[in-house]
Amino acid sequence: MYLLEHDAKELLTKLQIPVPPGTLVSDASGGNVALPAGPWMVKGQITAGGRGKAGIIKKAATPQEVSEHTRAILGRVVKNRRVDAVRIEQQVAGGSEAYLSLMIDAAAAGVRVIMAAEGGVDIEALPRDAIRTAVAAPDASAIAECAQELAAHFGGVKARALADAGAKLAQAFMASEAMLIEINPLFVKADGSWIAGDAKLVTDDGALERQDDTRAMLHARATAYPEAALKLEHGCDYVVVDPEGEIGLLTTGAGLSMMLIDELRAIGLKPYNFLDVRTGGLRGETTRLVKVLKWIGEGKNVKVILINVFAGITELGEFSRLVVKALQEVPEVKVPVVARLVGNGLPAAQQVFGAAGIALYPDLDDALVEVKKHLNDREGVKG
Amino acid sequence: MNNTLNPRITRTTPVIVQGISGRAGRLHSRLMKEYGTRLVGGVSSRKEVAEINGVPLFGDCAAAVKATGATTSVALVGAFDLLAAIEEALAAGIRYIVTPTEGMPVHDALKAKRAVDAAGAIWVGASTPGMAIAGEAKLGFLPNDALIPGPVGIMSKSGTLSYESGYRLAMRGMGTSVWIGVGGDAVKGVRYADLVPFYAQDERTKALLIIGEIGGHEEEDFAAACIAHKFSKPVFALIAGRSAPEGVTMGHAGALVHGSHGTWEAKRKALEAAGGTVFGSLNEMVEGVIQRLR
Repeated sequence: MYLLEHDAKELLTKLQIPVPPGTLVSDASGGNVALPAGPWMVKGQITAGGRGKAGIIKKAATPQEVSEHTRAILGRVVKNRRVDAVRIEQQVAGGSEAYLSLMIDAAAAGVRVIMAAEGGVDIEALPRDAIRTAVAAPDASAIAECAQELAAHFGGVKARALADAGAKLAQAFMASEAMLIEINPLFVKADGSWIAGDAKLVTDDGALERQDDTRAMLHARATAYPEAALKLEHGCDYVVVDPEGEIGLLTTGAGLSMMLIDELRAIGLKPYNFLDVRTGGLRGETTRLVKVLKWIGEGKNVKVILINVFAGITELGEFSRLVVKALQEVPEVKVPVVARLVGNGLPAAQQVFGAAGIALYPDLDDALVEVKKHLNDREGVKG
Repeated sequence: MNNTLNPRITRTTPVIVQGISGRAGRLHSRLMKEYGTRLVGGVSSRKEVAEINGVPLFGDCAAAVKATGATTSVALVGAFDLLAAIEEALAAGIRYIVTPTEGMPVHDALKAKRAVDAAGAIWVGASTPGMAIAGEAKLGFLPNDALIPGPVGIMSKSGTLSYESGYRLAMRGMGTSVWIGVGGDAVKGVRYADLVPFYAQDERTKALLIIGEIGGHEEEDFAAACIAHKFSKPVFALIAGRSAPEGVTMGHAGALVHGSHGTWEAKRKALEAAGGTVFGSLNEMVEGVIQRLR
């Protein structure tokens, strides 16, 4: 889960990383926001890089400028993400800039440390010899040691600051079970002290159950992290890939579901969502299927639902009964359903879907012919 | 990278199941045994059960290995118990471990990977249906319908997409040699590139099918390994997620595109530069593989 800068800084503060004082504002009318001492930065909160270039990070010298920038930035859409909040933060006075990041290195089964004496720049755009990097074993002391060795190449106060920041971030990285922490820029003062100007933090969704602070953050701001919140609450993966999409997908398995979306798009069709419903986790209940059908029902252009399941272990007879029951529980979803099922228990599923009037094909190409028929026949039909 | 990794098993490889008394453990130990896997025991903390699916139960891996001589384990335990299960298996002398469980915490996977490498063992997983030698034995739950013996080696990040691929190939009479689900996690045991030396020398493998996904750089690393090892058998690839939005995880923890990293296009370029053929759809893949190998 890629945290908003504000959330990343809140979490890092708890983990002893110094950040400029700041506050989150999501209401343009301002109201009584207690601002830190100025001057300020007004920073639009989205989970994507390049915010400065996109014009959603602005300096403000007066409270009036703070309000103006806040009003201008809130509601902007940048990289397909709506800016729902800004962080109003004290500007860091003086100091030079550096770069520091820690990330999981999957191939080396370790933590990669990356450093540069320049900050606030696109690290990938720097010349290779401006960057120092090495991989450490996944424990805080090994990472700190690695950071210290890399920092020594820079000399002066930057060496001291980067080594200290490396050690503290190593602790934070391990404690929060991070995938990535990037501090860019890291402000270094003349006395060797430092502060995190920007912070990018990606946490591991798989560790959420034992990471109380991250989980609390997710619960407090579920709308900012819809996919992660949904997975934690419902145990499945669901992403709206095209709000204008016409085909709702009830699918299982991440790889096959992604491939189906690719193939539909390649032939000019418009899938609405990605779904890995995890048939193995349904446990005889319609709860998850009902939720999913309601979400798909929210697609204003969805004209047909396509079920695609390859059942290696799943019993298709039971699965099809659950689907039929779930459909009865969401009468508001009135679009036709086309199913493509193959594997374990297909004859039973054929009976169940046959009785329910759902067209079922063992061959995906045949199912797609049926789907296209519904797309051509109907305007959006919804209850 | 370990050049001596050999993921092949036979009908005589002695296998235990950790977590055998759970729902998944009971079901899949039975299905594996029915397929031909030599299941010799199970590990369970439930002392009141002595036997499941005709094999004896033990309180821990050490006891199971001592009594049965097992070399191989399939761990069917919860995501938060996986690291401990892997460490226990390695300490007991298990050399080959398959972990189907989804959602293993990444920091646990880092530790597990280091432990496995230090022990010189093979780890397949996590987030995988496992592996199979078609017609002989399997570790995990690759569907029988997709398993007929043949010349194609498969390595896949995705379970379902590999089922679909293997099944469609099998329906056309094209079978598989050694099928390894490397799994959808970012940090994992065996990666595509690790098995290039094995597939190069495996006589029953005449071609390799890589079923990949956007995110990470395993496909790129695999391509580099093919070049480094002068891998000369045909390489086919199917990569899911071509149209996925940037910055959104698509189900698999590993399937996340950031900027120019992990994109479909980057993977296609790397695989083609290594002499591989990247297909745009399942149908094209099936036709392409059959045409080339017929």
